[in-house]
Amino acid sequence: MDKIRDSILDVMKKRRSIRKYKKENVSKDLLLQLIEAAIWAPSGSNVQPWYFIIVDDANTIEQVNSFSPGLLGDPPSIILICSDRKKAFEKAGTLGRDELCMMDISMAAQNIMLLAEEIGLSTCPVKSFNKRAISKILNLPEYVSADLIISVGYSDKITNTPERRSVEETTFFNTWGGVEFNG
Amino acid sequence: MDEKEIIKLFTYMVTSARGCVDEPKTYGPFRLIDSISKLYSILKENNLIENEEVSKIIGKIEEKKYSCMTDEKEFVTMLDDVIDDFVILVKSNKK
Repeated sequence: MDKIRDSILDVMKKRRSIRKYKKENVSKDLLLQLIEAAIWAPSGSNVQPWYFIIVDDANTIEQVNSFSPGLLGDPPSIILICSDRKKAFEKAGTLGRDELCMMDISMAAQNIMLLAEEIGLSTCPVKSFNKRAISKILNLPEYVSADLIISVGYSDKITNTPERRSVEETTFFNTWGGVEFNG
Repeated sequence: MDEKEIIKLFTYMVTSARGCVDEPKTYGPFRLIDSISKLYSILKENNLIENEEVSKIIGKIEEKKYSCMTDEKEFVTMLDDVIDDFVILVKSNKK
């Protein structure tokens, strides 16, 4: 991998959700690098409940796409992030199964999207898909939950930078409403 | 016409219908308007529609449809504009 040129904050600021991709495939090597980033995410009770299904077969993507209204722009590859809810329950109870799993896979997803940005790929996290249909198409076991799709490819569109709520607006010191920005 | 394309549109619409039960409310209008884009593409590819005005309206939809996620006001304005365009189109087709 090339030397990291940007600071992590620059990469975070540059990342956009992309909904139009070039017809250019992403190599398996790059896709696996994204998974390497994902597995280093923090995990509640260190359950690491995640599984990642890389889909780069055009026919399978088309099948997934048919039941994923939020999957836009014809990406050449997608990563489905799943979680093993049975394992999470056994190790971390209902908190692990119902809440920590979602936090874990979200942090893994962010790792994927940031590394993708750094190495010149574009992504979009997608939750608008039919879990039931996707589970059947990709043969998921019953105890595995299909939680999030990330589309991966090369962007074919420059996107606007959406406004962000400022640090001042979203942050308090020590107590709700506490302001110490001038000190 | 390729039946596969029609089935794809049907699956998109039925999955969207199911999704709209739980999803943010602006996703419903987006799915409907995106269905128009998809249907238009199928008709166009099969030479079943050749209308300059409709083509322009679809262009407007394509340009602004994703604003439902970032700028609801812009999205609603686009929908109102498109309705105005269709009113003109419908009135001009009056026998």
